[in-house]
Amino acid sequence: MDRWPINPWILLCLLSISVTIVATTARAEDDSDFFERKIRPVLVERCYSCHSIEAGKSKGGLRVDTKESLRKGGDSGPGVVERDVEKSLVVAALRYDSFEMPPDGKLSESIIADFEHWIQSGAFDPRLESELGTHEEFTSDIDYEAGKDFWAFRPIEVRNVPKAIDHWGSGRIDRWIANQLKESNLTASGPATREVLLRRLSFDLVGLPPTPEQSETYLADAAEDAYELLVDQLLNEPGFGERWARPWLDLARFGEDQAHIVGDDRSLCYPNAYLYRDWLIRSLNEDISYDEFVRLQIAADLIEPDNDKHLPALGFMGLGPKYYRRNAPEVMAEEWEDRVDVLSRGLLGLTIACARCHDHKFDPIGTEDYYALAGVFASTEMYNRPVKPDTELGKNGHAKNPTDSLHIVRESTPLDLNVMIRGDAQRKGPIVPRRFVKVLSASTVPSFDQGSGRLQLAVALTNPSNPTFARVFVNRVWQQLFGRGLVATTSNFGKLGEPPSHPELLDDLSSRFIENGWSLKWLVREIVLSETYRQSSATREDCVAVDPLNTKLWRMNRKRLPIESWRDGILLVGNRLDRSIGGKSIDPSLPEGSRRTVYSEVSRLGLNRMLAVFDFPDPNAHSDGRIKTVNPLQKLFVMNSPFTRSMSEALGQRIESVASHPKDRILATYQLLFARQPTEEEVSDSLEFLRGDKPSWNEWAQVLVATNEFATLD
Amino acid sequence: MSDSLPIDLGTTSRRQWLRRAGGGFGSLALAGILQQQSMADRGVLSVPHFPAKAKRVVFLFMNGGPSHVDTFDPKPALAKHEGEQPDKIKSKGTGYMPSPFQFAPHGASGVIMSELFPNLSRCADDLCVIRSMHTDTPNHEPGLLLMNSGHQQPVRPSLGSWASYGLGSENDNLPSFITLCPGLPVVGPQLWSSAFLPGQHQGVAVDANEQDVEKLIANLKHPTLGRAEQRRQLDLLQKMNRRHIEERAGDQDLEAHIEAMEKAFRMQTEAGEAFDLSLEPQSVHDRYGKSVFARNCILARRLLERNVRFVQVHYITKTGKQPWDTHSNNDGGHRKLCADSDQATAALIEELKERGLLEDTLVLWGGEFGRTPYAQNDDKKKDAKPGRDHHNTGFSMFLAGGGVRGGMMYGQTDELGMHAVENRVHVHDLHATILHLMGVDHTRLTYRYSGRDFRLTDVYGEVVEDIIRT
Repeated sequence: MDRWPINPWILLCLLSISVTIVATTARAEDDSDFFERKIRPVLVERCYSCHSIEAGKSKGGLRVDTKESLRKGGDSGPGVVERDVEKSLVVAALRYDSFEMPPDGKLSESIIADFEHWIQSGAFDPRLESELGTHEEFTSDIDYEAGKDFWAFRPIEVRNVPKAIDHWGSGRIDRWIANQLKESNLTASGPATREVLLRRLSFDLVGLPPTPEQSETYLADAAEDAYELLVDQLLNEPGFGERWARPWLDLARFGEDQAHIVGDDRSLCYPNAYLYRDWLIRSLNEDISYDEFVRLQIAADLIEPDNDKHLPALGFMGLGPKYYRRNAPEVMAEEWEDRVDVLSRGLLGLTIACARCHDHKFDPIGTEDYYALAGVFASTEMYNRPVKPDTELGKNGHAKNPTDSLHIVRESTPLDLNVMIRGDAQRKGPIVPRRFVKVLSASTVPSFDQGSGRLQLAVALTNPSNPTFARVFVNRVWQQLFGRGLVATTSNFGKLGEPPSHPELLDDLSSRFIENGWSLKWLVREIVLSETYRQSSATREDCVAVDPLNTKLWRMNRKRLPIESWRDGILLVGNRLDRSIGGKSIDPSLPEGSRRTVYSEVSRLGLNRMLAVFDFPDPNAHSDGRIKTVNPLQKLFVMNSPFTRSMSEALGQRIESVASHPKDRILATYQLLFARQPTEEEVSDSLEFLRGDKPSWNEWAQVLVATNEFATLD
Repeated sequence: MSDSLPIDLGTTSRRQWLRRAGGGFGSLALAGILQQQSMADRGVLSVPHFPAKAKRVVFLFMNGGPSHVDTFDPKPALAKHEGEQPDKIKSKGTGYMPSPFQFAPHGASGVIMSELFPNLSRCADDLCVIRSMHTDTPNHEPGLLLMNSGHQQPVRPSLGSWASYGLGSENDNLPSFITLCPGLPVVGPQLWSSAFLPGQHQGVAVDANEQDVEKLIANLKHPTLGRAEQRRQLDLLQKMNRRHIEERAGDQDLEAHIEAMEKAFRMQTEAGEAFDLSLEPQSVHDRYGKSVFARNCILARRLLERNVRFVQVHYITKTGKQPWDTHSNNDGGHRKLCADSDQATAALIEELKERGLLEDTLVLWGGEFGRTPYAQNDDKKKDAKPGRDHHNTGFSMFLAGGGVRGGMMYGQTDELGMHAVENRVHVHDLHATILHLMGVDHTRLTYRYSGRDFRLTDVYGEVVEDIIRT
């Protein structure tokens, strides 16, 4: 059991202890004896259950299981001050003067007197932080420097752009794309029609179909820069933030409650989670730089301690799942895994959580990397921050009622974790100092020494020298616009992920993204102005034969609208969309919930049935993109749900109001839904359906919103 | 207006398109990709790992945890030690408590059960009672998650969704995994979640309090449009969709949506029938009993007859999320609960057998754990009768049909029913065995997620070969 630790760092610590022991006097031996007989047993039996690493608890920010932590004390001040009984809060608590500890009954006067004596005589305490736990054998043989040779861990590199080909796209994106097309004997597709581009651009940028006014203006504008003008208009619409917040919410496993709710106890839920969503939408619309956007979500409280404006950003971690029986060590270990997972897959494209139980099997990520990050979250606590100064307070400064609070995180007692051997909270390996991931850092990795280390983590993570941070985000934006990332596995840039189809382009774009102030709007604009993006999505058989998955991008990928755009589109064409921005959540499956789908309530306990059926991700964990399924339950919703019935009526009414002649109505509806004119055949099919004395425009409207065409972006 | 269904338009045009696409390596590669996609609809295993003994599974889940020493695991020694406190355990009651129920062997095999199962005892020779189950935790939430998904925390796919993912559906007109659930059990939808598996594999939860077919499945019927009117809408729709796809030949996704729309249209009828209990004669209703659980067992049989892959019936009530959680009045509680469960379970097994379905339908019965062999007393209520607390280190479940050896009692707990001691079966072992019976090697049914190949049994689980019929 008590094996000698192998880790040289710990050996060094032990060595210094033995030196101390040699130098001790007889007096010190008495002190030691007194501590072991009178003090340690009381601490272990009466205090450790709430104040030790062993228990995974540091109530009131206090741990009493090492000399350091007891002297440092908790939220209220130092626990022990050598030779000063009155300043040592431990004694005050034992006397029941300030706190009443232990809470289940005051200890005897003789025990309290022992503590006073102990402190008077210098508070001898042999329990060093580095000795915590019994260290099981633990080795790691990852060669981090060699690991840095893998493409994802190499620095972002800007190479010479190939020459433009055949007068097609002269921009840098197009030249990289054209280069590979040429190598594969493929050719790019011509541009999509203006109608198609208008619809594509509108859904891609703001998540909505173009309004009739937008269509009219754009389709009539013959100027050369009409498209560019449209792009800039859309980028400035508030709908931009609403559309781009949603993929971020998927990434951040945004949820407003917990997967476990015991009885009716909603105390662990997040009734004000929407404040985080509102912050995202506002920040995306303001186009704050991506590195700052992320830093604020990790450490807004430490970046601007006196400014409340960005505190909701901390919902990124503060709205994370809380598990049943939290505070038990093995349960907290699960929660830390969630935090590490969201951070590492979401922002770094690395599956660091794989290294919780053993070194990563494929990537140069050690178990120590995992616990170095987990330590930051072990040193951070979930915090229900009162929203107003007069909010009723509960324990430790939390708002008493979750409905009165902002759900964020705050600093807790800094804590370096032991490696848990094979992920078992009971089997402790060496302590790992908190620090950033080795393979993403320079050869020496400084430990985090300021508080929890959250701010240092945020800074290290967003440093331009971190090779994956910019790449991962640029790739996600590319995935949103093309339906597939340049790296198809958007959250796994490791060995088991897909290699990039266009590594030079990914680096080129990432580097320019950084140069252009980490601006999302710049990035989106740069991509959608490319010829590559503007290609037609039509299939060409000769190209299918060579590149069936279109990894070379010889055409635009056809995309299915996500549930958000589909539902919002139906609301918009039915003239029922409530465009107010921000605020509390709605039930999107009800006809009266007429706000955009991004405002849907997201439950970890029971996800809204409509959302679940339409491939909305499980909000209990990070999602790297929507899995696309096709199933009859979706179609039952389209055919029969109160929502589609009600919206078909709304659209039917609108159709009847726009014109009196059936054919004119049909033309207007096609323009509204598909941004194009119908063919003669299509008009006659519809007229055939609508024949008779009482043509049902509602039923016809329902057919149109149910079409593949409405749900598809060419 | 014609009601006839279009003849597999999707397949036809896929074939046409492939022909048009011409020969060469590219089209072969593409054909491979298309095949993979359609396999995903059907389940990832085009051929099971072994011949499947169980084509369908029905899991009768006794939420809250039935008491093993009052049902399938007689412990006469409890009388001898009555009132003694268990070793090293802080009990909340008056010590060991014998069961007041009589136990007897039944059938030719002599499978033992308590007097609470007068009907089920007729099925004794079909039952395989495992008396050595054990699980990791005596708490409901993690216990339920472990039993239903192989992991104590959420975000893991459930047993039924793994089955659906691996094997797909044998009925194109019904979901492959259906959960019958009058209200929400403790933990709730995570128990039938598909987590990171594709969404089509999540259990379709049916609020089985409802008797009205149209309320059982969301959006099953249009309230005003009749079948002919909807068909007319669909005809126009599919005409538009066909025209749309003409210019987008070979788009598999668009084809799939056209097919799904037709499937949904058929499902309105098929599911309507499947869930309509008024189509069952009174004699069947009488045979199962009057409880909500009984009604759900009839529904389960109707779904299994229609080849739904995995049906789970939760024994809960509108007001009780875990009725078997008998912390007080254990005896009275079990008398009532077993009466419901006994009659309906026996009727289900017998009916499956009569219809030739038991052979390849696996029936499972049990909860998330068992109950303590010692008493739990509620001090606040002076007159309260003693109950039993949660117990995870030894409990009973039974299996029937689907390739399991009938007339068998497997494993043992110790003299007092405290711990499984012989032929211990962990929840992971049970999962491995269920998948095995369905023709799936639990170590080989995996899903790549977050850089790892996940499986139902994580890194655990041994198939319990001894209980499988050879």
